[in-house]
Amino acid sequence: MSEIIILKNSCKGIEDCGICMSVCPKNLFAPSHEMNERGFLPPRVIDEDPCTVCMNCMVSCPDMAIVVAKKKKTKEPK
Amino acid sequence: MDAIEHPLRKYTRPHVTRTTTCPGCGNGIVAQAILRAIDELGLEMDDFVFVSGIGCSAWIPSPLFAADTLHTTHGRPVAFATGVKLGRPDMNVMVVSGDGDLTAIGGNHLIHAARKNIDLTVVLVNNGIYGMTGGQTAPTTPLGLTTITSPYGTMEHPLDISATIVAAGAPFVARWTTAHPRQLTRSIKKGLQKKGFAMIEAISQCPVQFGRVSKLGKATDFLQHYKKNSISFSKASGLSREELAGRIVIGEFVDIEKPELSSQWMDLKHQMGQEAQCHNKQ
Repeated sequence: MSEIIILKNSCKGIEDCGICMSVCPKNLFAPSHEMNERGFLPPRVIDEDPCTVCMNCMVSCPDMAIVVAKKKKTKEPK
Repeated sequence: MDAIEHPLRKYTRPHVTRTTTCPGCGNGIVAQAILRAIDELGLEMDDFVFVSGIGCSAWIPSPLFAADTLHTTHGRPVAFATGVKLGRPDMNVMVVSGDGDLTAIGGNHLIHAARKNIDLTVVLVNNGIYGMTGGQTAPTTPLGLTTITSPYGTMEHPLDISATIVAAGAPFVARWTTAHPRQLTRSIKKGLQKKGFAMIEAISQCPVQFGRVSKLGKATDFLQHYKKNSISFSKASGLSREELAGRIVIGEFVDIEKPELSSQWMDLKHQMGQEAQCHNKQ
């Protein structure tokens, strides 16, 4: 189980970049239609379940905009 | 501001919230590879001095990294870094710059720093063109490519900078592309641990300038091109020049041990100090 977090405001968009979509072996990224505050279109995650935590998207993102973390079984109370 | 932070954000300056590069640029991948190498080795950013020249890739350390950075004149980062290392041999000195800066204008500095074997780690981001100034022909531009300074296609042969630095006697030279970020990180780690001159060449995409003139397309097309056309050093050694045309030879070309300059200077300083003490006693 993993958690894919897209830091939307760091992203430079799937139109010109889109590296995360091309490196994901499970094709979990899809274009979104919601602009970030700089006018780029960040990707959205279709489904987190098939993610194998290979972290290809995280290491290949040129803008440090994706964080992949293994989900902990029990969440700590806030 | 996003609530969750990237794990490598602790190594970047808090007021720099974004990279300065174009969308899809390979510089960000190289920046992350450098930071991950530092993170995995458990080094402190306070022990680093980053030196960069002029160009897009010189912007990697200068606004982004939360360390001492020197943004120097065009082509001279290796010369500045040599001075820093000889003055402060305890610091990790890393040069991050581009191919126009380090192979063209500062080519001789790079060759002689490799010859002297001073303990620097040079990350050379090679995108094959002068990106920042509008896409002029660089010494690393492939033969026949039409750029704004070669409208009929460049007639000059590209320089294989890694082979040049191997010939200059550097103890560690590696080349990877941005399609190999993990291998790039591993080589940067090895380069940082190497006592001596280490150069890591990162072939990087420039979708804006190089992509426009080479018709290679988007950043993702570049990465696929790198994956398809790269060939490992061990496999390439058995192939002929014709078979290797258009291929990118990747891997660690040399990894040896050699006496290093700054430690030899320190030894000499120590020795001279002792001799002076003996002389004074007499």
